[in-house]
Amino acid sequence: MNRAITPDSLMPYIGTALLIIAGSFFFPQILTFDYLTQQLQIAAFLGLLATGATIVILLGHIDLSVPWVLTGAAILSTALVGSGDPLLTALAVPAALAFGALIGIVNGIGVAILRIPSMVWTLAINSILLGLAVLNTGGFNPKGEASPLMVSMASGRVLGLPMSFLIWMAVCAVITLFLTRTPFGRYLRSIGYNEKATFLSGVSTPSVVFAAFALAGMCSAMGGVLLAGYANQAYQSMGDPFLLPTIAAVVIGGTSILGGRGGLFGTVGGALFITLLTSILSVMQIGDAWKSIVFGVIILAMLLFQTMRKGAHA
Amino acid sequence: MNQHDVPLLQIRDISMHFGATKALEDVDFACRSHEIHAVLGENGAGKSTLMKLIAGVLQPTEGRIILDGADVKLATPRTAQDLGLVCMFQELSLVPDLTVRENLLLGAPGSGLGWLRSEALAKAQDVLSRIDGGHIKMSTRVSDLSLPSRQQVEIAKALMRAPRLLILDEATSALNASVVAKVFDLIRAERDQGTSVLFISHRFHEIEALADRISVFRNGSRVATFDQGVHSYDEIINMMVGQKIGELFPPKPPVSATGKEVLKVENFSWEGRFADVSLSVREGQIVGLGGLDGQGQGAFLMGLFGLLRRAEGRISISGKPVSVSSPKTAKQPDIALAFIPEDRKTEGLIQEQSILENLQLAALGFKDLDASDPELYTSTLDRLELKHGGLELPVSSLSGGNQQKVVLAKWLAIKPRCLLLADPTRGIDVKTKTQIYQMLRRLADEGTAILLLSTDYEELIQLCDETHIFYAGRLAASMSGDSMTAQNIIAASLNVTEERKVVHA
Repeated sequence: MNRAITPDSLMPYIGTALLIIAGSFFFPQILTFDYLTQQLQIAAFLGLLATGATIVILLGHIDLSVPWVLTGAAILSTALVGSGDPLLTALAVPAALAFGALIGIVNGIGVAILRIPSMVWTLAINSILLGLAVLNTGGFNPKGEASPLMVSMASGRVLGLPMSFLIWMAVCAVITLFLTRTPFGRYLRSIGYNEKATFLSGVSTPSVVFAAFALAGMCSAMGGVLLAGYANQAYQSMGDPFLLPTIAAVVIGGTSILGGRGGLFGTVGGALFITLLTSILSVMQIGDAWKSIVFGVIILAMLLFQTMRKGAHA
Repeated sequence: MNQHDVPLLQIRDISMHFGATKALEDVDFACRSHEIHAVLGENGAGKSTLMKLIAGVLQPTEGRIILDGADVKLATPRTAQDLGLVCMFQELSLVPDLTVRENLLLGAPGSGLGWLRSEALAKAQDVLSRIDGGHIKMSTRVSDLSLPSRQQVEIAKALMRAPRLLILDEATSALNASVVAKVFDLIRAERDQGTSVLFISHRFHEIEALADRISVFRNGSRVATFDQGVHSYDEIINMMVGQKIGELFPPKPPVSATGKEVLKVENFSWEGRFADVSLSVREGQIVGLGGLDGQGQGAFLMGLFGLLRRAEGRISISGKPVSVSSPKTAKQPDIALAFIPEDRKTEGLIQEQSILENLQLAALGFKDLDASDPELYTSTLDRLELKHGGLELPVSSLSGGNQQKVVLAKWLAIKPRCLLLADPTRGIDVKTKTQIYQMLRRLADEGTAILLLSTDYEELIQLCDETHIFYAGRLAASMSGDSMTAQNIIAASLNVTEERKVVHA
């Protein structure tokens, strides 16, 4: 069986610990409860997206429609709340999740039935969603607002811990159960390694692909709902800065970009690491150019370290 | 045969250790020019390791390799090739996404920076047309070729390098008898021009047809070397495994026509690849499918398992008409078909996953089966004597024969009513073959219907109760009992039978 905790998946946790220790020399306030829980709150947004991305990457595919599924879900939910109708307000979150699942199924159809490479298909879907959003809003920031529920999901606290973090953990726990305890999880990894052999073993591979993309779409939509709650509004392109960090979080967490190997435990670490790195780089008050360069170099260094460690074993 | 006192290639006191495993121990071996030297042994006897040493893929732990009387060090495959030592490996070494031409020129001498030597290509084209591969277009992508065509390209690729020593490791395993005969003519012609050939095969009739001398390996040592004809099959097998050829195949039970019909296929057709095929398999029967390659028998099996869209015809299981639209429908208890695909490495197993995970993949999701219960697999694995260091190890750690046992156990877990097998013993050693034959016969005795596609006509004759031969997508002949002879099978495969006896059971 696949062990959940592998040396690869521990790497981002070690990285996170090092960042906290090193950062605290320059900025002692890093070690405060407020700062750290705030990081957990922010990491949940990236983490939810990365949770969905992990499912799709385990399958051996990639989902590039994350940014506009996120934005679409945010626009949809805030618009429903903005209508003022209590029923529509109550439906805001479920509707956003249904929207994510729907786009996920569309992605699944393209990949599993029409056999278009997921990298191309999901990119096209992302672009179509962008177009639809602009048509719908006329290019301005969409009207609407977040419901109290959405705000408390994004910014509330329970027992001192951020609500968004708890939601993220709950989603992770449920999906981890799915991945480790059900045939679906086994099929998912098997397809990631070898789709042909899995299909020949009598597995309905298209249904697994549908389910995986639908789950991923719902994770992206959930991220959109939380971000809208956090900002109390939806805005164009709010998802764009998240695409690459999402994939980076998954890969840093030890999930193979080729599919099959990996899991959510590492992804959680990856999301924490990237969030903290971004935060510390911005408190350091260096120019944006250097921030980008340092960010890229650190990500590369972590990946190189993993490959070299594997090379030493082979 | 010419006598040459100095062998082309000598191996002295070679040992090869992988950790604690001793693949070869103090082996001496020599190969003369103008000779075809067959190397025999079970899987794990060390023959592939020896070939890899000669091809420069592995470096020996100890010992010397001597070419033309001088010590050589074969650090890379390239060094070996430059010295004229060319190996065609059992694991097909073509790049699937490149065309035939690009593959042929990959690493070919003088093809630096992509400039193509047209003479070399002409030689390859010539080789291909001499082994029935004339239809293979240079511009075809290798992934679009059938397995036999790929082997033909492999052979052409090896021969265009004008080898001094040619190693053929199961080089003809996917080819049918008539193409094999042409490949052999070509190899003999190479020998007569002075090339020495090392030939590994598990098929005795091929060795009888081709080899001048034979060396037998067992457990990492060379047991004996002798001229062809000095020892009988029986004696050679004894040297290899201590088993008699009579024990290779289980005895056939007396013919009985009483078993219930499990699988009945009527007028099965698909897109011109096969047409109007009708046959049936009864409980307890092993029915063989033979013929030249690509005559539709492989596609026919795939069609039965629901892998072909828009296949026409009627399929009934135990008298009930069924429609099999996908492997998932095929394995459901009301149909209960199992299919052992042709390529166990990429179609039968997921190499990166553990033995146990592979075993579970077919039974997973069945309501009345607990896939996580090892009991489901152990009886099959015990019967087949699977050698493994733990079920949690990756399946890629097993040898080819043991991998095939895992594929079988995985499918037997769902208790299939009818087992479809596509050439299950290709490239597998004698001992494992015997175990698989016994397993199949025992399953048949227990009531499973078995449909076995084979490229080895010994299997069709010795194991099957009934054999159907495909030609150009149709059943050219059906035979059973005493009419199943090598001559009849070959004649039917070439469609030269005087009177076509098509008997639908």
